Amino acid sequence: MSSENQDWLSAASDNQPITSAQLDTLLQDAELQGRLDRYQLIGAVLRREKASPLSGQFSGDFAALLEQEPEYHLRTDRGLLQKVMQGVSQAANGSWFKTVTQGTVAAGVALIAVFGVQQFQQPLEQDMMSPLPVLQTRPVAGFATPVSLSQTSVDSRFEQQQQQAMLEQQKRLQALLNAHRQQVRVMEQAQQAEANTGKTTTEQPERGQ
Amino acid sequence: MRLTGFCGAIALLVLSGFVRAEQAGWTLFERVQYAVSHYNFDVSFVVIKGNQTDTYRWLHGQLQDTEIEHLVPLDTSGVDILRRDNHIYYLLTDRPAFVTDGTSIKELPALLFENKQRIAELYDAVVGSNSTMSGRNAQLLRLTALQAGRYSYWLWIDAESGFPLRIDTISEQQNPLERWLVTHMQITPELPSNLQALAEAELPAAVPVTLSEQASANDAYQLSWLPSGYRVIPEPVDLRQQQPALLGYWLLTDGLHQVSVFVQKSQSMPAQAYRDGATTIYVQSNEQLEVTVIGPVSIETARQLAMAVR
Repeated sequence: MSSENQDWLSAASDNQPITSAQLDTLLQDAELQGRLDRYQLIGAVLRREKASPLSGQFSGDFAALLEQEPEYHLRTDRGLLQKVMQGVSQAANGSWFKTVTQGTVAAGVALIAVFGVQQFQQPLEQDMMSPLPVLQTRPVAGFATPVSLSQTSVDSRFEQQQQQAMLEQQKRLQALLNAHRQQVRVMEQAQQAEANTGKTTTEQPERGQ
Repeated sequence: MRLTGFCGAIALLVLSGFVRAEQAGWTLFERVQYAVSHYNFDVSFVVIKGNQTDTYRWLHGQLQDTEIEHLVPLDTSGVDILRRDNHIYYLLTDRPAFVTDGTSIKELPALLFENKQRIAELYDAVVGSNSTMSGRNAQLLRLTALQAGRYSYWLWIDAESGFPLRIDTISEQQNPLERWLVTHMQITPELPSNLQALAEAELPAAVPVTLSEQASANDAYQLSWLPSGYRVIPEPVDLRQQQPALLGYWLLTDGLHQVSVFVQKSQSMPAQAYRDGATTIYVQSNEQLEVTVIGPVSIETARQLAMAVR
């Protein structure tokens, strides 16, 4: 038994692993501990380790230093969150909390309205930059010619007639547009003449622009 | 009680804010009108109508008490237009000049020259945001029509000189119909040298216009409805020589815009609407008559006008 003990204790002093059962025994048995101490001493002598680099009071000094360290208390996030939630649930029962919430909602709506309007205006501005919508901008110019002039079917002749009529109408519209412009140009003179001298009957030479 | 007082105070504050904003708008507008009629300048601008663009050069100056203005189309075969004080000369290449009287060239945006009081009856002026345009600080001024059926205007104004940099004509659906855009601008203390010669040039006198008597022009037809703010000009110029096919015609004005209504024999064509920039051309015919409405009004207004011819 004792030789067994000596075997594994000797091995332990040579930095060989020991089982947990053996460790338990070592921790409980003061005699074994003294023996390990002696083995270590023998080993140290054999390895010619004359003195330990640490002083004998090292453990005592270190313990004293630890005593002087201030205490730190760690709080987990979850605990903090729970505290806040608890605070909110208490506040929800108070009347001031409702007012503040309503105020926040109102401010939120106002913010959305302000930014919403700005964002609404921006695409409008972009629209302005894009090409203008084309309804049918020129009353006269650019009338499509028939696709095939050589075709003589009844349909195409009818189409040609219709296009001819359209062309004539566009000509008349251009003439009317010029007449409108002419009216606007001489409007002031006409009004002045009317105001100053009543009716002027002098002949005006025909001019069209 | 206290709440009512508080609400009243807020309402007053908001209202006074609006009034102040409107006043600022009209003050800015006056600055624009002053700039275009008092400065010596040499300006190029384009008029964008749909996919069509026209370029013009516009010179203006004052020599002693005489105001001289010259409008030159650069890429169209149009006519040179010259104004010396109250005489406007349409200088044609192949025919003698056409001369008329007027205080402004009608081919330029009318709202730059018309009486501010009259415009204020038709529009709200609200100052908008600042932006940079052609490297200049431009202030947006929105002229919003008070009545439906009238187009609105957005003006971008050079903050430094008060000169208009861009004018957009906006439909009721907020679509831009026509854009007037300055591409080059030079404001000088002296009269532009090109105008010096024109100021002294010998030009023919205005030819008196032939006025048409309303009764004889439109004896057979009547206009039973007018858009709000518009009135019929009682004696328009006689157009019968130029347009013998005309059975009757009216010229309407609201002080800023002009609308023509022409009556002709029916050609049995379906109703059609065209647009030349902000100018609507609307044709509608029944068995006997074809009515054409031309002017800066919405198609709906033009249709109502055409229906009103009896």
